[in-house]
Amino acid sequence: MATLLKFLAEAAMCAVFALLFSTSGFTQAVRKGKTPVNKGSAVGPKVTKINSDGLKALLKPNGKPLLINFWATWCDPCRQEFPELVRLDAAYRGKIDFITISLDDLAEINTSVPKFLGEMKAEMPAYLLKTADESAAITMVSKDWAGNLPLTILFNSAGEPAYSRNGLIKYAAITAEIDKLLTAPTANILPSN
Amino acid sequence: MKRAAILFSLLFAFVMAANAQGIEVGAKMDSFSLPDMSGKIRSLDDLKGKNGAVVMFVSSQCPVVKAYNERMNQIVADYAAKGITFIGINSNVGEIDKMAAKPVDWVKTHITETYKFPVLFDKSNVLADKLGANITPEAYFIDANNVLLYHGAIDNDRSGSNITEAYLRTAFDSSLAGKKIERTKANAFGCTIKRAGQ
Repeated sequence: MATLLKFLAEAAMCAVFALLFSTSGFTQAVRKGKTPVNKGSAVGPKVTKINSDGLKALLKPNGKPLLINFWATWCDPCRQEFPELVRLDAAYRGKIDFITISLDDLAEINTSVPKFLGEMKAEMPAYLLKTADESAAITMVSKDWAGNLPLTILFNSAGEPAYSRNGLIKYAAITAEIDKLLTAPTANILPSN
Repeated sequence: MKRAAILFSLLFAFVMAANAQGIEVGAKMDSFSLPDMSGKIRSLDDLKGKNGAVVMFVSSQCPVVKAYNERMNQIVADYAAKGITFIGINSNVGEIDKMAAKPVDWVKTHITETYKFPVLFDKSNVLADKLGANITPEAYFIDANNVLLYHGAIDNDRSGSNITEAYLRTAFDSSLAGKKIERTKANAFGCTIKRAGQ
Protein backbone atom coordinates (compact mmCIF):
# COMPACT_ATOMS: atom_id res chain seq x y z
CA MET A 1 0.00 0.00 0.00
CA ALA A 2 2.82 2.38 0.95
CA THR A 3 4.58 1.59 -2.32
CA LEU A 4 1.40 2.34 -4.27
CA LEU A 5 0.94 5.66 -2.48
CA LYS A 6 4.58 6.60 -3.18
CA PHE A 7 4.12 5.69 -6.86
CA LEU A 8 0.95 7.81 -7.10
CA ALA A 9 2.65 10.78 -5.43
CA GLU A 10 5.59 10.59 -7.83
CA ALA A 11 3.25 10.30 -10.81
CA ALA A 12 1.31 13.37 -9.63
CA MET A 13 4.54 15.38 -9.27
CA CYS A 14 5.61 14.36 -12.78
CA ALA A 15 2.24 15.42 -14.17
CA VAL A 16 2.46 18.84 -12.51
CA PHE A 17 6.03 19.28 -13.79
CA ALA A 18 5.01 18.27 -17.33
CA LEU A 19 2.04 20.65 -17.26
CA LEU A 20 4.14 23.57 -16.12
CA PHE A 21 6.80 23.12 -18.74
CA SER A 22 4.74 22.05 -21.73
CA THR A 23 4.25 24.94 -24.21
CA SER A 24 0.65 25.72 -23.33
CA GLY A 25 1.03 24.98 -19.64
CA PHE A 26 4.04 27.25 -19.29
CA THR A 27 2.31 29.91 -21.37
CA GLN A 28 -0.61 29.98 -18.99
CA ALA A 29 1.66 29.81 -15.94
CA VAL A 30 3.65 32.90 -16.92
CA ARG A 31 0.60 34.94 -17.89
CA LYS A 32 -1.45 34.38 -14.75
CA GLY A 33 -1.09 36.06 -11.40
CA LYS A 34 1.88 38.31 -10.71
CA THR A 35 4.02 39.27 -13.68
CA PRO A 36 6.92 36.82 -13.47
CA VAL A 37 10.55 37.79 -13.52
CA ASN A 38 12.48 35.71 -16.00
CA LYS A 39 15.79 34.93 -14.30
CA GLY A 40 16.65 31.89 -16.44
CA SER A 41 20.04 30.20 -16.27
CA ALA A 42 23.71 31.10 -16.52
CA VAL A 43 23.37 31.55 -20.31
CA GLY A 44 20.52 34.01 -19.91
CA PRO A 45 16.77 34.19 -19.35
CA LYS A 46 14.65 31.14 -20.17
CA VAL A 47 13.26 31.26 -23.71
CA THR A 48 10.18 29.12 -24.28
CA LYS A 49 9.37 27.69 -27.69
CA ILE A 50 5.83 28.36 -28.90
CA ASN A 51 3.94 27.37 -32.02
CA SER A 52 0.85 29.03 -33.55
CA ASP A 53 -1.36 27.63 -30.78
CA GLY A 54 0.98 29.05 -28.17
CA LEU A 55 0.88 32.44 -29.88
CA LYS A 56 -2.91 32.32 -29.95
CA ALA A 57 -2.97 31.55 -26.21
CA LEU A 58 -0.63 34.46 -25.50
CA LEU A 59 -2.87 36.85 -27.43
CA LYS A 60 -5.90 36.02 -25.31
CA PRO A 61 -7.02 38.75 -22.89
CA ASN A 62 -5.64 38.25 -19.42
CA GLY A 63 -7.16 41.11 -17.44
CA LYS A 64 -4.29 43.53 -18.00
CA PRO A 65 -2.92 45.48 -20.95
CA LEU A 66 -0.55 43.27 -22.93
CA LEU A 67 2.57 44.56 -24.66
CA ILE A 68 4.37 42.27 -27.11
CA ASN A 69 7.68 42.94 -28.83
CA PHE A 70 8.45 40.78 -31.87
CA TRP A 71 12.19 40.73 -32.51
CA ALA A 72 15.20 38.69 -33.62
CA THR A 73 18.92 38.77 -32.92
CA TRP A 74 19.51 39.21 -36.68
CA CYS A 75 17.47 42.42 -36.70
CA ASP A 76 19.61 45.53 -36.07
CA PRO A 77 16.85 47.89 -34.93
CA CYS A 78 15.47 45.13 -32.68
CA ARG A 79 18.77 44.92 -30.83
CA GLN A 80 19.14 48.69 -30.83
CA GLU A 81 15.81 49.30 -29.08
CA PHE A 82 16.14 46.55 -26.47
CA PRO A 83 17.52 48.78 -23.67
CA GLU A 84 14.38 50.89 -24.03
CA LEU A 85 12.22 47.78 -23.78
CA VAL A 86 14.01 46.76 -20.60
CA ARG A 87 13.40 50.25 -19.25
CA LEU A 88 9.72 49.92 -20.12
CA ASP A 89 9.51 46.58 -18.36
CA ALA A 90 11.01 48.03 -15.19
CA ALA A 91 8.63 51.00 -15.29
CA TYR A 92 5.44 48.97 -15.81
CA ARG A 93 6.15 45.58 -14.22
CA GLY A 94 3.05 44.35 -12.44
CA LYS A 95 0.85 46.91 -14.18
CA ILE A 96 0.89 45.34 -17.62
CA ASP A 97 1.92 42.00 -19.09
CA PHE A 98 5.01 42.46 -21.24
CA ILE A 99 6.47 39.61 -23.24
CA THR A 100 8.98 39.29 -26.05
CA ILE A 101 8.68 36.88 -28.96
CA SER A 102 11.81 36.06 -30.93
CA LEU A 103 11.72 35.00 -34.56
CA ASP A 104 15.20 33.54 -34.49
CA ASP A 105 15.91 30.04 -35.69
CA LEU A 106 15.01 27.33 -33.20
CA ALA A 107 18.69 26.40 -33.01
CA GLU A 108 19.29 29.73 -31.24
CA ILE A 109 16.82 29.11 -28.40
CA ASN A 110 19.46 28.06 -25.90
CA THR A 111 22.35 30.09 -27.28
CA SER A 112 22.31 33.51 -28.92
CA VAL A 113 18.74 34.45 -27.91
CA PRO A 114 19.13 33.97 -24.11
CA LYS A 115 22.69 35.28 -24.34
CA PHE A 116 21.49 38.56 -25.86
CA LEU A 117 18.60 38.82 -23.39
CA GLY A 118 21.07 38.23 -20.56
CA GLU A 119 23.37 40.94 -21.85
CA MET A 120 20.38 43.28 -21.97
CA LYS A 121 19.37 42.23 -18.42
CA ALA A 122 15.92 41.52 -19.84
CA GLU A 123 13.61 39.86 -17.32
CA MET A 124 10.31 39.78 -19.19
CA PRO A 125 8.90 36.37 -20.22
CA ALA A 126 10.65 35.42 -23.45
CA TYR A 127 9.36 33.18 -26.22
CA LEU A 128 10.59 31.95 -29.58
CA LEU A 129 7.97 31.34 -32.25
CA LYS A 130 8.49 28.40 -34.56
CA THR A 131 5.75 27.68 -37.06
CA ALA A 132 5.61 26.24 -40.56
CA ASP A 133 3.09 28.91 -41.54
CA GLU A 134 4.56 32.27 -40.56
CA SER A 135 2.00 34.00 -42.76
CA ALA A 136 -0.86 32.72 -40.61
CA ALA A 137 0.95 33.71 -37.40
CA ILE A 138 1.59 37.22 -38.74
CA THR A 139 -2.07 37.62 -39.70
CA MET A 140 -3.10 36.35 -36.26
CA VAL A 141 -1.27 39.30 -34.71
CA SER A 142 -2.56 41.82 -37.26
CA LYS A 143 -3.98 41.33 -40.73
CA ASP A 144 -2.19 44.49 -41.82
CA TRP A 145 1.28 43.46 -40.61
CA ALA A 146 3.71 42.32 -43.32
CA GLY A 147 6.00 40.56 -40.83
CA ASN A 148 8.75 43.19 -40.74
CA LEU A 149 10.64 43.49 -37.48
CA PRO A 150 10.60 44.91 -34.94
CA LEU A 151 6.92 45.17 -34.10
CA THR A 152 5.83 46.38 -30.69
CA ILE A 153 2.11 46.05 -30.19
CA LEU A 154 -0.07 47.01 -27.24
CA PHE A 155 -3.43 45.37 -26.54
CA ASN A 156 -5.96 46.61 -24.02
CA SER A 157 -7.27 44.32 -21.30
CA ALA A 158 -10.03 43.13 -23.65
CA GLY A 159 -7.43 41.97 -26.16
CA GLU A 160 -8.05 44.74 -28.65
CA PRO A 161 -5.07 46.45 -30.32
CA ALA A 162 -4.51 49.89 -28.84
CA TYR A 163 -1.16 50.93 -30.34
CA SER A 164 1.57 49.52 -32.50
CA ARG A 165 4.97 50.58 -33.70
CA ASN A 166 6.71 48.92 -36.63
CA GLY A 167 10.34 50.00 -36.29
CA LEU A 168 12.28 51.54 -33.41
CA ILE A 169 9.98 52.35 -30.52
CA LYS A 170 9.48 55.89 -29.32
CA TYR A 171 9.56 55.62 -25.54
CA ALA A 172 7.44 58.70 -24.80
CA ALA A 173 4.79 57.67 -27.32
CA ILE A 174 4.43 54.14 -26.04
CA THR A 175 4.38 55.11 -22.37
CA ALA A 176 1.66 57.67 -23.14
CA GLU A 177 -0.43 54.91 -24.73
CA ILE A 178 0.15 52.53 -21.81
CA ASP A 179 -0.73 55.26 -19.31
CA LYS A 180 -3.95 55.95 -21.21
CA LEU A 181 -4.96 52.31 -20.85
CA LEU A 182 -4.00 52.19 -17.19
CA THR A 183 -5.91 55.32 -16.24
CA ALA A 184 -9.02 54.48 -18.26
CA PRO A 185 -11.83 52.77 -16.37
CA THR A 186 -11.86 49.14 -17.41
CA ALA A 187 -15.28 48.10 -16.13
CA ASN A 188 -16.88 48.32 -19.55
CA ILE A 189 -14.13 46.53 -21.42
CA LEU A 190 -15.22 42.98 -21.82
CA PRO A 191 -12.94 40.35 -23.29
CA SER A 192 -13.94 39.54 -26.86
CA ASN A 193 -14.21 35.82 -27.43
CA MET B 1 -15.11 53.01 -22.64
CA LYS B 2 -16.28 50.55 -25.25
CA ARG B 3 -16.36 53.45 -27.68
CA ALA B 4 -12.76 54.32 -26.78
CA ALA B 5 -11.71 50.73 -27.47
CA ILE B 6 -13.39 50.86 -30.88
CA LEU B 7 -11.64 54.15 -31.62
CA PHE B 8 -8.30 52.62 -30.67
CA SER B 9 -9.01 49.72 -33.01
CA LEU B 10 -9.92 52.03 -35.85
CA LEU B 11 -6.81 54.15 -35.26
CA PHE B 12 -4.69 51.01 -35.16
CA ALA B 13 -6.19 49.77 -38.42
CA PHE B 14 -5.63 53.20 -39.97
CA VAL B 15 -1.97 53.34 -38.91
CA MET B 16 -1.28 49.81 -40.13
CA ALA B 17 -3.18 50.48 -43.35
CA ALA B 18 -1.14 53.63 -43.90
CA ASN B 19 2.01 51.50 -43.71
CA ALA B 20 0.49 48.85 -45.91
CA GLN B 21 -0.89 51.10 -48.65
CA GLY B 22 -0.07 49.90 -52.11
CA ILE B 23 -1.44 47.75 -54.84
CA GLU B 24 -3.55 44.68 -54.40
CA VAL B 25 -3.31 41.43 -56.32
CA GLY B 26 -5.23 41.85 -59.59
CA ALA B 27 -4.37 45.55 -59.92
CA LYS B 28 -2.04 46.91 -62.56
CA MET B 29 1.40 48.14 -61.52
CA ASP B 30 2.39 51.47 -63.02
CA SER B 31 5.65 51.51 -64.89
CA PHE B 32 8.60 53.12 -63.13
CA SER B 33 12.14 54.23 -63.88
CA LEU B 34 15.00 54.22 -61.37
CA PRO B 35 18.79 54.41 -61.54
CA ASP B 36 20.92 51.27 -61.33
CA MET B 37 24.29 51.11 -59.62
CA SER B 38 26.04 52.84 -62.49
CA GLY B 39 23.50 55.66 -62.45
CA LYS B 40 21.85 54.50 -65.66
CA ILE B 41 18.07 54.90 -65.62
CA ARG B 42 16.28 51.60 -66.13
CA SER B 43 12.55 51.13 -66.52
CA LEU B 44 10.15 48.33 -65.68
CA ASP B 45 9.19 48.09 -69.34
CA ASP B 46 12.83 47.63 -70.38
CA LEU B 47 13.58 44.98 -67.77
CA LYS B 48 10.36 42.98 -67.83
CA GLY B 49 10.42 39.53 -69.42
CA LYS B 50 7.94 38.34 -72.03
CA ASN B 51 6.00 36.47 -69.32
CA GLY B 52 6.39 38.99 -66.57
CA ALA B 53 8.76 40.12 -63.85
CA VAL B 54 9.37 40.10 -60.13
CA VAL B 55 9.93 43.42 -58.44
CA MET B 56 11.96 42.26 -55.46
CA PHE B 57 12.72 44.56 -52.53
CA VAL B 58 16.17 43.71 -51.20
CA SER B 59 18.75 44.98 -48.75
CA SER B 60 22.50 44.57 -48.78
CA GLN B 61 22.55 44.38 -44.96
CA CYS B 62 19.45 42.41 -43.96
CA PRO B 63 20.51 38.90 -42.86
CA VAL B 64 17.22 37.46 -44.10
CA VAL B 65 17.87 38.79 -47.60
CA LYS B 66 21.42 37.46 -47.45
CA ALA B 67 20.02 34.05 -46.60
CA TYR B 68 17.90 34.25 -49.74
CA ASN B 69 20.56 35.62 -52.15
CA GLU B 70 21.58 32.23 -53.49
CA ARG B 71 17.95 31.07 -53.75
CA MET B 72 16.95 34.23 -55.60
CA ASN B 73 19.81 33.79 -58.07
CA GLN B 74 18.78 30.18 -58.61
CA ILE B 75 15.18 31.21 -59.31
CA VAL B 76 16.47 33.83 -61.77
CA ALA B 77 18.52 31.14 -63.53
CA ASP B 78 15.61 28.70 -63.61
CA TYR B 79 13.03 31.13 -65.01
CA ALA B 80 15.02 33.50 -67.25
CA ALA B 81 14.56 31.22 -70.25
CA LYS B 82 10.85 31.02 -69.43
CA GLY B 83 10.49 34.76 -69.79
CA ILE B 84 10.26 35.89 -66.16
CA THR B 85 12.89 38.36 -64.98
CA PHE B 86 13.90 39.80 -61.59
CA ILE B 87 14.25 43.50 -60.83
CA GLY B 88 15.85 44.20 -57.46
CA ILE B 89 14.89 47.39 -55.63
CA ASN B 90 16.84 48.82 -52.72
CA SER B 91 14.74 51.41 -50.88
CA ASN B 92 16.78 51.46 -47.65
CA VAL B 93 17.89 55.04 -47.26
CA GLY B 94 20.95 54.33 -45.13
CA GLU B 95 22.26 51.68 -47.48
CA ILE B 96 21.85 53.85 -50.56
CA ASP B 97 23.78 56.68 -48.91
CA LYS B 98 26.53 54.31 -47.81
CA MET B 99 26.82 52.77 -51.26
CA ALA B 100 26.95 56.19 -52.89
CA ALA B 101 30.05 56.93 -50.81
CA LYS B 102 31.76 53.62 -51.64
CA PRO B 103 34.31 53.13 -54.42
CA VAL B 104 33.13 51.47 -57.60
CA ASP B 105 35.08 48.28 -56.77
CA TRP B 106 33.21 47.88 -53.46
CA VAL B 107 29.84 48.20 -55.16
CA LYS B 108 30.93 45.73 -57.82
CA THR B 109 31.99 43.16 -55.21
CA HIS B 110 29.06 43.58 -52.82
CA ILE B 111 26.17 44.21 -55.17
CA THR B 112 26.87 43.48 -58.83
CA GLU B 113 28.45 40.12 -58.15
CA THR B 114 25.96 39.17 -55.45
CA TYR B 115 22.82 39.47 -57.51
CA LYS B 116 22.36 37.89 -60.92
CA PHE B 117 19.75 40.52 -61.70
CA PRO B 118 19.73 44.33 -61.87
CA VAL B 119 19.25 46.24 -58.62
CA LEU B 120 17.79 49.73 -58.82
CA PHE B 121 18.00 52.45 -56.18
CA ASP B 122 14.75 53.89 -54.86
CA LYS B 123 16.40 56.70 -52.94
CA SER B 124 13.31 58.52 -51.70
CA ASN B 125 11.19 55.37 -51.21
CA VAL B 126 8.87 56.55 -53.96
CA LEU B 127 8.38 53.08 -55.39
CA ALA B 128 8.25 51.41 -51.96
CA ASP B 129 5.56 53.88 -50.89
CA LYS B 130 3.60 53.42 -54.10
CA LEU B 131 3.60 49.64 -53.84
CA GLY B 132 3.25 49.58 -50.05
CA ALA B 133 6.47 47.62 -49.61
CA ASN B 134 7.59 47.40 -45.99
CA ILE B 135 9.84 44.40 -45.72
CA THR B 136 12.89 42.75 -47.26
CA PRO B 137 12.77 40.40 -49.01
CA GLU B 138 9.36 41.17 -50.50
CA ALA B 139 8.28 40.06 -53.97
CA TYR B 140 5.74 41.54 -56.38
CA PHE B 141 5.18 39.19 -59.32
CA ILE B 142 3.48 40.81 -62.31
CA ASP B 143 2.48 39.34 -65.65
CA ALA B 144 3.36 40.72 -69.07
CA ASN B 145 0.57 43.28 -68.72
CA ASN B 146 1.88 44.49 -65.36
CA VAL B 147 -1.02 42.91 -63.46
CA LEU B 148 0.02 41.85 -59.96
CA LEU B 149 -0.34 38.07 -59.63
CA TYR B 150 1.46 37.36 -56.34
CA HIS B 151 2.77 39.46 -53.45
CA GLY B 152 4.87 38.42 -50.50
CA ALA B 153 7.48 35.93 -49.40
CA ILE B 154 9.72 33.77 -51.59
CA ASP B 155 9.05 30.62 -49.59
CA ASN B 156 8.19 29.52 -46.06
CA ASP B 157 11.64 28.85 -44.63
CA ARG B 158 14.28 31.53 -44.13
CA SER B 159 17.02 28.98 -43.55
CA GLY B 160 16.22 27.17 -46.78
CA SER B 161 16.67 23.79 -45.11
CA ASN B 162 13.00 22.90 -44.71
CA ILE B 163 11.01 24.60 -47.47
CA THR B 164 7.54 23.12 -47.74
CA GLU B 165 5.90 26.00 -49.62
CA ALA B 166 7.84 27.60 -52.50
CA TYR B 167 5.32 30.41 -52.91
CA LEU B 168 7.08 32.33 -55.70
CA ARG B 169 8.07 29.32 -57.82
CA THR B 170 4.55 27.91 -57.46
CA ALA B 171 3.09 31.22 -58.63
CA PHE B 172 5.47 31.26 -61.63
CA ASP B 173 4.59 27.68 -62.58
CA SER B 174 0.86 28.29 -62.32
CA SER B 175 1.10 31.47 -64.36
CA LEU B 176 3.24 29.86 -67.05
CA ALA B 177 0.82 26.93 -67.25
CA GLY B 178 -2.12 29.30 -67.56
CA LYS B 179 -3.58 28.07 -64.29
CA LYS B 180 -5.07 30.01 -61.41
CA ILE B 181 -2.52 30.94 -58.74
CA GLU B 182 -3.93 29.40 -55.57
CA ARG B 183 -1.91 31.40 -53.05
CA THR B 184 -1.62 35.01 -54.17
CA LYS B 185 -0.27 36.43 -50.91
CA ALA B 186 1.97 35.09 -48.15
CA ASN B 187 3.88 36.90 -45.44
CA ALA B 188 7.08 35.97 -43.67
CA PHE B 189 9.28 37.62 -41.07
CA GLY B 190 12.01 39.90 -42.40
CA CYS B 191 13.68 43.29 -42.09
CA THR B 192 11.90 46.63 -42.15
CA ILE B 193 12.66 48.89 -45.11
CA LYS B 194 14.39 51.95 -43.70
CA ARG B 195 12.63 54.93 -45.19
CA ALA B 196 13.86 58.50 -45.45
CA GLY B 197 13.00 60.53 -42.37
CA GLN B 198 12.48 57.54 -40.07
